[in-house]
Amino acid sequence: MKITINGVPTEADAGPDDVVVDVLRDGLGLTGAKAVCRTGVCGACTIKVDGTPQVSCLLPATAVEGRAVVTAEGLDHPVQRAFMAHDGLQCGYCTPGFVVEAAAFVDAWREEHGDVAPPRERIAAAMAGHLCRCGAYAGIYAAIEAACRGEHDSGTTTPARVEAVEKVTGRARYTTDIRHDGQWEGVIIRSTRAHALVTSVDVDGTTVDLLPPDRIVRYAGQPIAAVAAPTRREALAVAEAARIGYEPLPAALDDTPGAPPVYDERTRKKAPSSGEGLTLPGGWNGNVHGPFTGASRRAGTAVKRIEAARRRADPLLVTGTYTTAVQVHTPLEPHACVARWDERGDLHLHLSTQTVAMAAERAAKRWKLDANRVHVVAEHVGGGFGAKAGITVETVAAVELARACRAPVRVVLSRAEELTDAGNRPGTRAGIALLADEKGDLSALAVDVHGRGGVSVGSAVALHARLVYGTAPRRLRDFDVVTNEPPGTPFRGPGAPPLLWALEQAVDEMAHRLEEDPIALRRRWDGNPKRRALYDRAAELPLWRDRPRTGSQTGRHRRGVGVAAANWFYAVSPGTEVELEVEDDVVVARTATQDIGTGIRSVIAGILREELGLPADRIRVEIGRSGTVPGPASLGSRTTTSVAPAARDAARRLRAQGMTSGTKVVGKRRRDRGGYVTPFAVQGMAIGRGFSGAVHVTEVEVDTRMGTVRPLRVWGGIATGHIYADRPARNQCEGGIIQGIGYALYEERHVDPTTGTVLTANLEDYRIPGIGDTPEMTIHFHQDGWDHVNGRGVGLGEVSTIGVAASVANAVHNATGWRPHDLPIRPDRLLEGIRA
Amino acid sequence: MTIFENPPHGRLRAGGTDLMSLPGTGPYVDLRDLPGPSGVTWQPDGSAHIGALTTIAEIARDERLRAAYPALTLTAGALATPQIRAVATIGGNLLQRNRCSYFRNPAFSCHQNGGDSCPARDGLGLYSAVIDTSPCVAPHPSSLAMALLVYAAEVEVHGRSPFPVGSLYGSDPTRDHLLDPGEILLAVHLPPPVAGERAAYHRATSRSEAEWPLVEAVARVTPDGAAAVSVGGVARVPLRLPEVEQALAAGEPMEVAAGRAASRCAPTASNGYKVTLLTATVLEVLEQATAPS
Repeated sequence: MKITINGVPTEADAGPDDVVVDVLRDGLGLTGAKAVCRTGVCGACTIKVDGTPQVSCLLPATAVEGRAVVTAEGLDHPVQRAFMAHDGLQCGYCTPGFVVEAAAFVDAWREEHGDVAPPRERIAAAMAGHLCRCGAYAGIYAAIEAACRGEHDSGTTTPARVEAVEKVTGRARYTTDIRHDGQWEGVIIRSTRAHALVTSVDVDGTTVDLLPPDRIVRYAGQPIAAVAAPTRREALAVAEAARIGYEPLPAALDDTPGAPPVYDERTRKKAPSSGEGLTLPGGWNGNVHGPFTGASRRAGTAVKRIEAARRRADPLLVTGTYTTAVQVHTPLEPHACVARWDERGDLHLHLSTQTVAMAAERAAKRWKLDANRVHVVAEHVGGGFGAKAGITVETVAAVELARACRAPVRVVLSRAEELTDAGNRPGTRAGIALLADEKGDLSALAVDVHGRGGVSVGSAVALHARLVYGTAPRRLRDFDVVTNEPPGTPFRGPGAPPLLWALEQAVDEMAHRLEEDPIALRRRWDGNPKRRALYDRAAELPLWRDRPRTGSQTGRHRRGVGVAAANWFYAVSPGTEVELEVEDDVVVARTATQDIGTGIRSVIAGILREELGLPADRIRVEIGRSGTVPGPASLGSRTTTSVAPAARDAARRLRAQGMTSGTKVVGKRRRDRGGYVTPFAVQGMAIGRGFSGAVHVTEVEVDTRMGTVRPLRVWGGIATGHIYADRPARNQCEGGIIQGIGYALYEERHVDPTTGTVLTANLEDYRIPGIGDTPEMTIHFHQDGWDHVNGRGVGLGEVSTIGVAASVANAVHNATGWRPHDLPIRPDRLLEGIRA
Repeated sequence: MTIFENPPHGRLRAGGTDLMSLPGTGPYVDLRDLPGPSGVTWQPDGSAHIGALTTIAEIARDERLRAAYPALTLTAGALATPQIRAVATIGGNLLQRNRCSYFRNPAFSCHQNGGDSCPARDGLGLYSAVIDTSPCVAPHPSSLAMALLVYAAEVEVHGRSPFPVGSLYGSDPTRDHLLDPGEILLAVHLPPPVAGERAAYHRATSRSEAEWPLVEAVARVTPDGAAAVSVGGVARVPLRLPEVEQALAAGEPMEVAAGRAASRCAPTASNGYKVTLLTATVLEVLEQATAPS
C-alpha cells in the first residue's frame, strides 16, 4: 500500500491485520515510534496522520493508506529544541511520542491564542495520552510552555543533556530497535500455573529450556522454554501451539500460616533475593524466612521499654501497622536482548541493561567464553530503576536461541511480561512501635516487617531503621513470607520506601503527641548535620509555615502539608576508570558504564569542557559498551560519583600530556579521604563514609467527596554534595518525586487470589502517574558536607524518591486528620478513612 | 452499499481502537470507507443525526452539539485520550467490549469469551459492578451511551427501525451489546434540545487524566426543573436513575435525592466504596448542572 511517510511517498508491505507501529518499525526500519503498551495508553508510538496525532499501536495499516504520516524522525519543530533546552526527557524512550503530540498542540495553541504559555491544565489535557516512567514531566511542561511562547522558533539550542538531539528526533537506537540481517524473533513460553511440576514440554520448533533443575514452576508467568521464528507473529504462533504437561501442586497465594509450602529444605536455599548483594541470613518456618535481627541495637532494652510503656498506656508510645503494595518498575523500554554469535565464536549482545560490564562478565562465565569474546552494547537504555541488572531471562533465551537457530535472535518482553515477571518492589506489612521519654527524646524503637516478594526473599526493610534518629535502643526484625507469586528485584532504594512509609508517619504522629512541629522534632532527633541544614531550610518555607492546623478544616476540599526525611547509603565503584583518546581534534571519552536516563554522558562531557576548555562539538562520549576501561553499574546511586572524578583525573592527565591526535590516557577514581566502610568492593561496589539525606515537604489537596488526593507542590531538599550537571540532577530528583507520588497514590500490582495470575498486566490497570498528576516542584541542593569524597558529590537517584510517599501521607493527615496506613491511598480507602 | 446486501464475513472495524487491543485476528471488514455514516446532520426540527463513524474528537469540539447536548460533548471530551478520541468513533464507543481485567487476560475464560463463570466474582472485585444484575460483573464501558440516555437518544441499525439507545444493552453476560454479528449501527438520533437546558458530566478516577472511571454520571436539567440522571461504572449496562429523578421532581433536596442512587446497590466486601462514590458523583453533577452560571 502507498503511504507518504515523512514527506516521502512509500510503498509499504502491510496486511489488514497489521498495526501501523509494526509496519513502521519492522517493515520500514523507522524506529522512532516505540511499541510500549500496545493498548493505546502510553503514547510512545504516537505519529501524525494527516496532521493529527494518533497512537500507531492500535491503528490498522489500512487506516493510513494514501495518507501522510509523520514520525519523530520526520518532525522538524521548535518544540523539539524546547525539549532539549528544558530537559523534557530522561531515558528518552517516550520522547518521540511526546514531541509528535506536543508539536501538534503547540501549533494549534499558537494559532488560536498567539505566543503565550498555556495554563498547565491545558498542557496536561493535551498530553494526557502519554506516560513518562522517569517522570520528566516538569521539564516537559517547561518545554511546551517555552515553545508556545515562541522561544525556540530559531537559533541554536544548548541541550541540557548531550544526547538530547538523538532522543527528540527518534534517531536514538535502543535495544528494541536493533535489527540484524536474517534476525529471528524469540518468544518465551510461560507457566499458566502458580505451582506445578512440568512433566512435558512439547513444542514444534527449536526450543531452549528455561526450567530450573527440579522442573517445578513456582509462579504463574515463570519461564518454561523459549522458541524462535523468523517473525514475532510466527514465534508467537509456535508458543501458542506448545503443549505443556503440568502435575499441579498446591499453591501458596496468601501469607496465612497454613499455606502450602513454596520450597522444600533443599530448594529454599536457592530462593532468589529481591535485595541488592547477599541474602540476609535467617531460618525458615514454613513459608516464613527470618527474622534477620542483625541491625538491632540493644534489642532487649528496646523491647523492655516498649512493653513497660504499653502496660502503663504511655501516651508517648506510638504504634501502628502499615502496609505497602507491590510496585512494579515497568521501564518503558522492556527487557530486551539481541544476541548474535559471529563466525569466530564471539558473542555480541545488544542489551537493555544497567550493567554492561557485569552482563559481559556473567555472559562469559555462563557460556564459558573468554571475557574478551563477549561484547555488550547498550547505546541507549529506556529506563531500568533496578530491574535490568546482570543476565536475565530474555538474555538467556536470546543467546541460546541464537546458537540453536544459527541466526541473530531478538527477545523483547511484552508489556504483560514486563508487568508480570521483570521485577517489582515487594509488598510489606510493617508493625512499628516508637517510644519517647519524658524529655521527648527517642527512647526505643521496634520495627517488624514481613516482606512479600513472591518466590523471592531479602525484602530487607526494617534494617534501614538502624541508621536513623540517633542510637536509641531498637529491635529491627526482617521476615519474608514466600508465596507462589513472581519474584521481587531491587527497585530504586530497595527496602527504604516501605520503612519510611511506616517510620516517617510514626514520627509525625509522635510530633502531634508532643505538640511539637514535625520538622523541629526531626531536627532534634536526627544527628545528621547535612539533613539538619535541610530542616532549617524547610522550616522557613512559606509552604511549611503557612500550613493549616491538623484537623482544622471541614470543607470538601482540604489542603494539607506534610514532611518526611530520608536517609541513604553512599555507594561507589572504587575501580572506575575513564579513558580519553584524541581523535584528530575530538576528545573521545570511554568507560564501561551506561546512561539509563541519569545523564552520565552529560556529566562526563561537562567535566571535559571545564577541564580542557573545549566546545561541545570537540567532545564525544562513548559509553554503553563493555570491553573498555572499568565503569560502574547504574545501580545504587553510584554512577556519577564513581565516573566524574575519574573523568576529571583523565582530563588533567591529558592536559599534562598535550592533546595531539592519537594520545590516549586513563584517569582513575582516587580513593576517598578516610577510605570506605566496606574493606573491599562486592560486585564492584563499596559503601563509602557518610549518609546522603533528603527532606520532602509536600502539599496536597484532598477532595473529601471524591476521595482523591492531588499533589499541589513539593519541595525536595537533597543533601548529596557537589552537583555535577544541574539540570539532569534536578530532573532525576523531580522524577523521584513523581515515582514517589505513584507509590503513594496509584501504583499497585493485583494478583488473582485463585490462580496467581497477575491482573495488572497492562498500563491501564497498572497505574503510573501522568503529567496531570505532577505537582509544582522545587529542588534545593545542599552541597556541603562531602569534602572527604573525591569530587565532593555522591549519588542522588535513590535518596530523592524513598521518602516521598510518607510526605504525601503526612500531608493527607494534616489536611483531614485521618492517617493512611495502607498504600496506595486509593479513593476507596480515603473515603472510608475520613468517614470513620 | 453491497456491504448491506452481502453481509460480510469478518470482524467489523471502525476506528479499531478497541478491536486492535483485543485478542484475536481478522479478517476485518473496515467500515471507514462506507459512504454516509460520518458527521453530524441537523434536521429541520432541531434534532441531530450523528453518523456512527463520527469520531469522538469531532463530537467533543462541535460547537452546535455543545450548545444543544452539553452532556454528550462534555463526556466525549473527557473519555480516553486525545489520540484515541481522534480515531475512535461514536459507533465503536457504543459497541465496544468491557475493560474487565479478567476478560482481557488470556489466562482466564469467562462468560464473555465462551466460558461459563465469572472469575472476577471470586477475585479482584474492586472495580466490579455494584448494581448486580448479571452473572458478569464487568461495568459497561461506554461513557457516551450513558450520556445519550439522558437525551432519550435512539440508534439506527441497518434493517431495523430506530430504537432507544438503552435497548442496545442488557444483562446477557456473554456480550456487551445486543446487536447480532454483522449488524451495522448507522447513526444516533438525538431529539431536539429544550431551550435553556443544562448538563454536567463527572468522571471519578484516581489520577487526573486518562483513566477508566470508577464511577461516572451525567445530569441534564431543563428549565422546567426536570432532571435526567444516568450513571456508568456501576452496572452491566449504562443506567438511567429514575429513582433520583423522581425524588427531585417530588422536591427532595439534591443531597437526599442523590442518596437514592444507592437503593439498587448490592456491594460486595471490596466495592462498597462505589456506593459512596455513586451518590457523591450524582450529587456532583446535579450541583454542577444547577449551579448559577
